[in-house]
Order: sequence, then structure tokens, then C-alpha cells
Amino acid sequence: MGWFFLIIAGAFEIVGVIGMNLINKYGNLKSYIILFIGFFLSFGSLALAMKTLPMGLSYAVWTGIGTVGGTIVGMLFYKEPKDWKRISFIGIILASVIGLKLTS
Amino acid sequence: MNRNWAYVAIAGILEIFWAMGLKYSDNILAWAATLFLIYLSFVVLIRATKEVPVATAYAVFTGIGTAGTVVIDMIVFGEPFSWTKIFFILLLLIGVLGLKLVTTESANKEGAV
Repeated sequence: MGWFFLIIAGAFEIVGVIGMNLINKYGNLKSYIILFIGFFLSFGSLALAMKTLPMGLSYAVWTGIGTVGGTIVGMLFYKEPKDWKRISFIGIILASVIGLKLTS
Repeated sequence: MNRNWAYVAIAGILEIFWAMGLKYSDNILAWAATLFLIYLSFVVLIRATKEVPVATAYAVFTGIGTAGTVVIDMIVFGEPFSWTKIFFILLLLIGVLGLKLVTTESANKEGAV
């Protein structure tokens, strides 16, 4: 059940990041509501996941899904740069965050 | 561009404080302050994404928050020091600085600000 909540948490984090993109594009109330609901449900599910899974592991997986998902969505739907240097550096940041969360 | 990267950094620093707030808040005032910091960090982050790509800003924001929390835990809350943590923090800095460099480059290529 912990893993189920964790994946839901990651998915809603992507929704939150999409909200951020929408705010940039339209700046309307609907975008802000999507951002709020996305992150609210994401944090809620993450807290539920952490009840059964270790905290560092949960946070690492959650960040991973959100960052990778957000980057893919940005490139596919919001014209963010696709160059390999950008993707590599985002990958390095992601690896460091996961490393820190798993060792702390 | 630099101003917007400063916003990303400020949002990340605010995240360090609200992450501590989530961990240590034990009264209504502390929780209210934590919620306000969460709100503030997102306002600043969204401001930054006017120029910096959303996924780029979000990765750096998460990175600063995580590294900052680990550093504060070691210095203030007596978590054990380890070279592994220092290694990942340095790696993270390389990632952030590199990302900043290539973001300016690609923005120039497209003729954007």
C-alpha cells in the first residue's frame, strides 16, 4: 500500500508542475487551483506512503518521479529545451538528491 | 536571467526553512509560519519560471532544499558528518551551475532574454 501511495504522490507532483506551466501560459485562477490541488494531494499521499516506507526512500522516489515527469512534460507540451546538456545536468541534480536522501 | 536565478535560489532557501518547519513545528504559530513559508517559496518560484524553464527551476529548487536541509541537520541538529553527503552536495552544485550555464546559452540561441 505504501508504494501505491508513493506513486500517486509522484503523479500528483507532476500535476503540480503542470499547474506551474499553466500559470506561466494563462495565469488564470484555474491554473492556480491545479497547482494547489496537485501539490496538496502530492504531499498528502507522500505522508501516507511514509507511514509504511522509510522516509529517505520515499522522498527519493517521490522527487525522482516528479523531476523526471516534470521534465518530460515540459519538453513534450511546453516547448522546453530538449538539448542533451540540459537533460544531463537535471539528471546530475536528480542523482545527487536521491543520493542525499538515501544516505541521510 | 540572473535575477530569475536569484529567485530560484531564494525559493530553494525558503524551502529549507519550511522543510524544517514540517519536521519540528509543535504549535499553531509554528505551523502557520510553515504554511506561509510554503506559500512564499511557491510565489517566488513561479516568478522565476517567467524566464527559467519550469522543469529546470523545479529541479534546482528541490536540489537546494534537499542539500540545505542536509547541511542544517549536520551543523545545527547534530546529524553525523559524512564525506558521502559532501560528495553529493558538490555533485549537486555542479549540476546546478552547469544547468545555469546551458540555460543561458540555449535562451540566447533562441533569441529570448
